[in-house]
Amino acid sequence: MEARLRVRRFDPESGEGARYQSYTLDVPDYATVLEVLLQIREELDDSLALRCSCSSAICGSCAMRINGQARLACKTKVAAVAADGGEIVVEPVGNMPVIKDLVADMDPFWQKVRAVEPWLQPKGPPPEREYLVPHEVMRPLADVMACIMCGSCVSDCTVLETELALGKPYEQTFLAPAALAKAYRFVGDPRDGADAERLLALSRLEGIWDCTRCNFCVEVCPKSVAPMDQILALRRKAIEQGHDEYLGARHTLEFEKTVRESSWL
Amino acid sequence: MVLSHDVLVIGAGLAGMRAALEARRKGVDVAVLSKVHPVRSHSTQAQGGINAALGEDDSWEKHGFDTVKGSDYLGDQDAIEIFVKDAPERVVELEHMGTVFSRRDDGRIAQRPFGGAAFPRTCYVADITGQVLLHVLHEQILQAGVRVYEEWFATSLIVEDGVCRGALAMEIRSGQLQAFSAKVVIMATGGLGRVYEPSTNSLISTGDGQALAYRAGAALMDTEFVQYHPTALRNGILMTEGARGEGGYLLNSKGERFMEKYAPKMIELASRDVVSRAEQTELDEGRGVNGFILLDLRHLGREKILERLPQIHELAMDIAGVDAIDEPIPIRPAMHYFMGGIKTDVHGATLLPGLYAAGECACVTVHGANRLGGNSLLETIVFGRRSGVAAAEHVDGVLAANVSEALVSQEGGRIKAVLDRSDSGDSVARIRMEMGQTMNRYVGMFRDEKGLQKAVAKLAELKERYKRVGVHDRSRVFNTSLLFHLELGNMLDLAEAMALAALHRKESRGAQFRRDFPQRDDEEWLKHVLVRYSPEGPSLDYSPVAITRWQPERRVY
Amino acid sequence: MKFAYWPGCSVPRQGTPELRITAAAVCDKLGIELEDLSLAPCTGSGILQARDLVYADTLNASTFAMAEDMGLPLMTICSTCQGVFSQARRRLKEKPDYLAQINQTLEEQGMKYSGNLEVKHLLWVLVEDYGLAEVGKAVVRSLKGLRVAPFYGCYLLRPSAALGLDEHPERRTCLESLIEALGAEAVEYRGKTLCCGYPLVGVNDENSAAMVGTHSVEAKEKGADCMVTPCPLCHMNLDGVQPQASEQRETRINMPVLHLTQLIGLALGIDPPDLGFDRHAVPVKSVLAKLGL
Repeated sequence: MEARLRVRRFDPESGEGARYQSYTLDVPDYATVLEVLLQIREELDDSLALRCSCSSAICGSCAMRINGQARLACKTKVAAVAADGGEIVVEPVGNMPVIKDLVADMDPFWQKVRAVEPWLQPKGPPPEREYLVPHEVMRPLADVMACIMCGSCVSDCTVLETELALGKPYEQTFLAPAALAKAYRFVGDPRDGADAERLLALSRLEGIWDCTRCNFCVEVCPKSVAPMDQILALRRKAIEQGHDEYLGARHTLEFEKTVRESSWL
Repeated sequence: MVLSHDVLVIGAGLAGMRAALEARRKGVDVAVLSKVHPVRSHSTQAQGGINAALGEDDSWEKHGFDTVKGSDYLGDQDAIEIFVKDAPERVVELEHMGTVFSRRDDGRIAQRPFGGAAFPRTCYVADITGQVLLHVLHEQILQAGVRVYEEWFATSLIVEDGVCRGALAMEIRSGQLQAFSAKVVIMATGGLGRVYEPSTNSLISTGDGQALAYRAGAALMDTEFVQYHPTALRNGILMTEGARGEGGYLLNSKGERFMEKYAPKMIELASRDVVSRAEQTELDEGRGVNGFILLDLRHLGREKILERLPQIHELAMDIAGVDAIDEPIPIRPAMHYFMGGIKTDVHGATLLPGLYAAGECACVTVHGANRLGGNSLLETIVFGRRSGVAAAEHVDGVLAANVSEALVSQEGGRIKAVLDRSDSGDSVARIRMEMGQTMNRYVGMFRDEKGLQKAVAKLAELKERYKRVGVHDRSRVFNTSLLFHLELGNMLDLAEAMALAALHRKESRGAQFRRDFPQRDDEEWLKHVLVRYSPEGPSLDYSPVAITRWQPERRVY
Repeated sequence: MKFAYWPGCSVPRQGTPELRITAAAVCDKLGIELEDLSLAPCTGSGILQARDLVYADTLNASTFAMAEDMGLPLMTICSTCQGVFSQARRRLKEKPDYLAQINQTLEEQGMKYSGNLEVKHLLWVLVEDYGLAEVGKAVVRSLKGLRVAPFYGCYLLRPSAALGLDEHPERRTCLESLIEALGAEAVEYRGKTLCCGYPLVGVNDENSAAMVGTHSVEAKEKGADCMVTPCPLCHMNLDGVQPQASEQRETRINMPVLHLTQLIGLALGIDPPDLGFDRHAVPVKSVLAKLGL
C-alpha cells in the first residue's frame, strides 16, 4: 500500500520558519502512522524528530495532529485516515509551542496539571492497612486514571485555542481538559480530604466554568477518559457543595429553575 | 558549570521515582535524570499487577517459596525473604499514596491469581496497574518537589579513583553536554528489550544503565537469563498474564489446552518460561494457527472482559483486529524481561562504590533464572525504596566530588566523532535489527553451543560495523538519530555479555534452556555468573547463591 | 413523510422566532408533515445534564415517549437538541436497568419509552430519508453563484459515537451536500466543525465573541457570501454576537448568517419578507442582492 504524508517540519537551528515536506513510500496494509514515520526516518530522512516509545497507546509520547485532529500516531492506522490513498497531513499537537518538527514543548501542559495539586490529600493519618473503599467507587476512578497525559485534549481544546489567539500568556489561560479531569480524579476519591479547597480553586476564572462544552476533548481522547464529562461532574459537585456564586454556576441554577418550573416533573 | 546534587537518580520509572521519593523524605538533595518524561517510562506498560502476601490464608513464606521455585533456585534467598516480607507494607503504602486498586466486596484490595503463584496474591488496577502506579508516584514526586531533569540522556558515569562520582549527560532539547557531580548515583534505567527482536518492550528499553555501569566497572550478573512472555501480539505488544489469571485458555490448532501436557497442575498458570517454551514447541511441531497460539477469553464473558481486561480488549482489536469477546486472540512468545543486570546487595549497592541500582536494571537477585509475574512491579518499589534509604545514609559519609569540566569536552569529542563519520552505507537500524534477530534466534528460548557461538561471532562483527557507522542527522536539537546510535552501543555491549554467559553456563535452568545440556545441574551450576568489562573483552567470574530456608528441589508445575 | 416534531425551547422561540416560521414553511413546501410536540419539556441543553443527569434524562425520555405514543419518529431543528437527544437516547439504549428506572417515573404519568425511537435533525432527514435528488427537484430558485460557509454546531458532530457518525459517515458532510443540492457552492474552511462559543455567553464574553470573530472572519477570507447553520444557538452567537466580535477586532466583519431553513426556503421560492431576515443582527441584503432579489 502506498502512503503519502505531508509533514510539518520546523528546524530551530535553521533560522527559517516552519514548512511542509511530502513523503511517499510503500507500507504494509496494517501500518500505523507511527510505523510509517519511523520507516521514513529509517529509509528516507533520519532528521525527522518525533517522540515515541511504547507503540501501544499507553505511554502517551506520540500524540500529534493527523489530518487536523489530535491522535496517537501509534494507534492511527494509515488506511483509516488516508481515504482513497489521499495525503495524510501530520503536524505537532496544537496549543503548545513547537521545539522541532513533531516534538511539542509540553511545559505549558504540565504547568496546568501541577496547578490542580494532583496528589492525594487525605484528611488525617491513614489507617493501619488499606482504606476500605467499595469497588464501585474505585473502578470508575481507574477509568479517569486511564489518562496517559498525551496532550491530545489540550491540543484540540477550543477555549485554549481561542485564548492563545487572543494573545493570553499560558499562565492566564483555561486550565484545559487534562488538568481538570485529573482534578476530578481526586474530588471523586473518598480518601481525598481536600474537596472544598479543590472545588473553590476550580470554580474560579479559567476553571471548570470556562469550558464551552464543545466535546472536542471527548472526541479526541485515545483512552475514552471523556474529560468534558469529568468537568461537568466537577460542576455538579461544586454546586452541591455550595460554590454557587460564580457566573457559570448561577447561570446553571437559573436555567435549572426555569426548566423545573415549566416542566411536568 | 557542573551541576551538583547529593543523590542523582538516573531513570524516572517506578524504581527511580520510588528511590528519589525516599531519599527526599530522608532530607537529602536528590534529583532525577530521565531520557523521557517520567510518565513515558516503560513501567507504564506493566499491565497485570503487583504481588503481596496480604491475604489471611497467604504468608510471606508461601510467597517466598513461589518466588524461589519460580527462580529455579537461583534466587538469592536472603534478598527474597526481605522482598516478600516487605511487600504487604509497600503495597498498602502505595494505596495510601492514592493508587486506585480494584477491590473485593469487603472493600479490601482485590488480588488475582498469576503464573507460578500457589495463591492469588497479585493486586491490580483493572489491567493498567503499571500505568496507575507510575502516575501515582509521579504525583508524589510533584508534591515532594523533586527536581527532574526531563529529557536528558546519560552518556557515561564519572569514576574517579574507583569511585562513582556522578555522570555526564546530554540535554536532548539542546544537544548540550553537562557534568553532574553526585555523592551517590542510583541507576534505575529499566530493561533492555530492544536487544531482541521481537520484544514486548518500548523503544526506550535499551539497557543504558546496565551498559554505563558495566563500562564503569560494576559487574553484571545472571546476564544469560531473559524471559520470554508467553502472550504477545504479532508486533510484540503484550497481552497481560492477567488474562490467564482471570481464566483464559491457551489453545493449539487442534483446540487443545496443550498446557495440560506440560504443566499438569497449573496448566496456563505455570511459570512463564515453562509456558513460553511449551508454546514454541507446539508451534515448532506444526500445531500453531498461522504461526500463532490462541489465547481464548470467550468463556469469561463480555462483562468480565470489559471490567477486568479493558486495555487488552482494545489492543487486540486495534492490532490483531480481533474482538476478544467473540474470537480467540492470536499470540506467540516474545522477549519480555531481563532477570540479569547490575549486581547489587540487598540495599542496592553495586560493586562500584558510590553506585547503587534498583529495578529491572539491577540484579539483587530475587528473580534468579526466571521471574514470576507481579514480582517485577514489586521489585521496583521494594528495592527502589531500599536504594533511596541506603543512598541517603551513604551521603553522610561522602565529600562532594570535584568533577572536572574537562570530562565534558572529552565526551563532547567522542560524540562529535560519531557525528563526523561519513556514510558507511550501513545503518544503525540495520545493525540493531541484525543484533535483535541474532539474539532471538540463538540466545532465545532454545539454545545450544553452536548457535551461541554463532551469536558471539555475529555480535563481534556487529561491534566492528558499529565502530564505523554514522548518522545522517547532524543537528544538535533533539537528534533522535544520535540517541539511537548511542543506545545501540549500549545494547551491543550487553548482548555480548548475555551471549557469553549463556555459552558459559552449561546447563538448563529457568529461562535458559540448552538443547545440549537439557538438565539442571545444581552440583556444578548452582551459582551466579558475573561479567566484568575490560577493554580487552569481558571476563567471567562467579558469585554464590544465598540459600536460607528453601533447599533446591525438582521444579514441576 | 410524517414526524413527531420538537421545535425547540423558549430560547429559539424568543431569540430566533424566524427559525420556527421558516421550518414550518419549508416542511410544508416539501410535503413533510409535522405533529407538534411543543408541550414537551426542554432537552436540558447540556446545562441541565451537568446539574442532574437523571432528571434531564427523564425529561427527554418523556419526549421520546410522547413521540412513540404518536407512532412517529422524532425530528429536531436544532443541533443542540439533536445532540442532547442522541446522547440521552444512547444512555437509555445501552443500560436497560437505567431505562427501567426512568420508566418507573414515566409510568406515574402514564407514559413509557421503549428505548428504540429514531431521532433525527431535519438536515439528516433531508439528506438520508427525503433524498437530495428530491430536494433538488423542489428547488425553483437555484442558489447558483452563492458561496455558503457551513457551520454545523458542536452537538451535531460530537461525540461522534452518540450521533451515529460511523454508521452514517455522510452525516459528517451532510450540510455541504445540502448546500450543493440547492445549487450553491459550499466553502471549505476550518471553522465549519468548531465551536461558536454560545455556552460561554454571560460566563466569558470575551472568549465567546472571539470565537464568533474567528469563524466569521475565516469564512469571509475564504470568499463566503454567508454562513449557514442548523442550530439556533449557533445562530444567536454567530449573528447576534457578531457586532461585539467586530468591535473586539476593530474591524467590520459583516458576514450574514442564515438558518438552514432560511437557505432552503430561498431555494424553494419562499419570498424574503417571509423568511424573517429582518430579525438578524447582521444584514442579509448582500446575499439577496447576489441572488437578484
